[in-house]
Amino acid sequence: MRYTSNLKSLALGVMAMAGLSACGAEGNDPGLEFAPQMYHSVPYDPLSQITNESAGEWLSTRKDERGEFYNSNPYNPHNMNMRVPPENTVVRNGTGMLPYRYPKDSAGSTYYLDLAAANVKNPLPETEEITEQGRILYNNFCAPCHGGSGAGDGPVGEVYKGIPNFAGGRYAEMTEGHIYHVITHGQGRMWPYASQVAPIDRWKIVRYVQTLQKQ
Amino acid sequence: MSFTGNIGPLLKRLAPAVLLLSVLLLCGMGAFAQTEESSQKEEEDDVVTASQSKDTDIEADQVPQEVSAEGAEIPQTEEIIAQGKQLFTGNCTVCHALNEVVVGPALAGIHERRPLPWIKAFIVNSQRVIQSGDAYAVNLFNTYNKTVMPSFNFSDEELTAIIAYLKYETENAAQGANEPAESVAGNQGEGAGQAGNEASAFLTTIVVALVVVLVLVLVVLILVSSVLLKYLSQRTDLDEEDKEIVNRQFSFGKLVKSRSFLGVLIFIFVAVAIKTGIDGLYSIGIQQGYQPEQPIAFSHKLHAGQYQINCNYCHTGVYKAKSANIPSVNICMNCHNTIKKDSPEIQKLYAAVETNTPIEWVRVHNLPDLAYFNHAQHVNVGGIECQTCHGPVQEMEVVYQHAELTMGWCINCHRETAVKTEDNDYYDKLVKLHNANTDEPMTVEDIGGLECAKCHY
Repeated sequence: MRYTSNLKSLALGVMAMAGLSACGAEGNDPGLEFAPQMYHSVPYDPLSQITNESAGEWLSTRKDERGEFYNSNPYNPHNMNMRVPPENTVVRNGTGMLPYRYPKDSAGSTYYLDLAAANVKNPLPETEEITEQGRILYNNFCAPCHGGSGAGDGPVGEVYKGIPNFAGGRYAEMTEGHIYHVITHGQGRMWPYASQVAPIDRWKIVRYVQTLQKQ
Repeated sequence: MSFTGNIGPLLKRLAPAVLLLSVLLLCGMGAFAQTEESSQKEEEDDVVTASQSKDTDIEADQVPQEVSAEGAEIPQTEEIIAQGKQLFTGNCTVCHALNEVVVGPALAGIHERRPLPWIKAFIVNSQRVIQSGDAYAVNLFNTYNKTVMPSFNFSDEELTAIIAYLKYETENAAQGANEPAESVAGNQGEGAGQAGNEASAFLTTIVVALVVVLVLVLVVLILVSSVLLKYLSQRTDLDEEDKEIVNRQFSFGKLVKSRSFLGVLIFIFVAVAIKTGIDGLYSIGIQQGYQPEQPIAFSHKLHAGQYQINCNYCHTGVYKAKSANIPSVNICMNCHNTIKKDSPEIQKLYAAVETNTPIEWVRVHNLPDLAYFNHAQHVNVGGIECQTCHGPVQEMEVVYQHAELTMGWCINCHRETAVKTEDNDYYDKLVKLHNANTDEPMTVEDIGGLECAKCHY
């Protein structure tokens, strides 16, 4: 009798061990959460959206009868928590940069590009500090295609094809307005980088590209 | 025990065993030395092949220029070709390649397809040639989506140089001049891999050799002891104590049933159970190792590793905001408008763009809502590398959570990390105050990095 009860408690112990060792995360399973009600965001969280209305129903205290973990904005397209900024609004971020006015050229035309090349000037001073900041930004955003030295020999550029050499031919004579316009709206095979690189950072990159042109 | 007087015959009986042992040891050492020698030899071979391939590289670069009779109008001197190459890479490679369509047509063999004056006229002002009604030019214009080729104000000499370069490249490509370079590069890559394999194979050989030697030593020792026991059991002049030792018998059943054995067994079992239990409890709420399947099989190993795209290229918020951000599809499309268009995974991107639906990536690093973390503070101000917390992402085919992301883990780093104060005026007075009291560097802890309300509010 005593022997069997010992065996039972032993089996229970083994099962508990197995159960506990399954608490960790692995593959698609994020593992057991310790205090789920404190882990999941109550406000809309843009990067951990949960669209499943019944997620966390078992411990829900919500009045709208949805699961505790549900985190989606039903008033947005696709119930997304993120929204793109409304059109024609201007970022106020203290850099004092006004919106860039020249629109993208229609295919085959270089009208606005030529205007920008002739008229747009860099608002940033020509200092080593800004060129250095531009170098870091250039290496992060441009070097994959354009290469560290601007020769168009970046590792991605070799696959993408058609990358110019900044120091060669007509590219050595691009004006700062030209470079800025191309970063903003793209040109030829290059796609626009306006969504990735802020205006002030584009001007810093322009400063650095100008040093590459002189190589 | 007393061996005195009888040591001679004993030694005689043992002699073969000792001999065997020493021979085996020698053999083992010999094998060891041999493997070392051979691997050294292989390394030398590698060096030889590497230097040879270098030589061939140089030769390939200096292929003598042939001035053929038919190429009379297109000069093929090294100087002109070099000039042409410079002009071509500086001006033309944006839209043209030799053997594939980039924006404009592939230019290999252009000197055979079109007459020289036509090519020159087209480069100088393509629109004029098209408007003049030249059938070939109009056809070309229409084939390439009416993309206008800009005018290039080259001198006649420069135009000739470009065409000379194209001709040179065409003829060399036909002769397979590019192939050796590629195969050499491939061989070098394989060579590196082989060297790695050889090193590990060498280690395995050593380990195997050692194990074999040790096993043989064990066998020999057992032999020796059994021989000794046999010899001693035949002797009659042993006292009681010695007899007991000689005739001792090992009983497995008795051992298993003995109290001390059971005690040890239960102790081990309980210890393992407690250890597993505590480990299991500690893993609650820790998502280290979480590696969810993503909707698109995106490989960080390929993008961040092989193509060396900086993390910041896609995770645009990392220097500026609380969150590093998950890239939107337009960032993917910067390259994938052209690269790998037909891959089923890339087709998912196109589907997302066409239907304007979000791609539902699965978040890997889920910091609990009760803790605040800011990327900009750590990466921009603190200058911490992404890999410090996220692990070797550039080697991950599928991203997993590398760090524990527990409070203890955060605190530990705040205790150990010295604040990056150079070139940051904000810290000047803090550093002054800190240095007045101690010589230790100022850690995050020293400036309030362990205050509860820094992260929990």
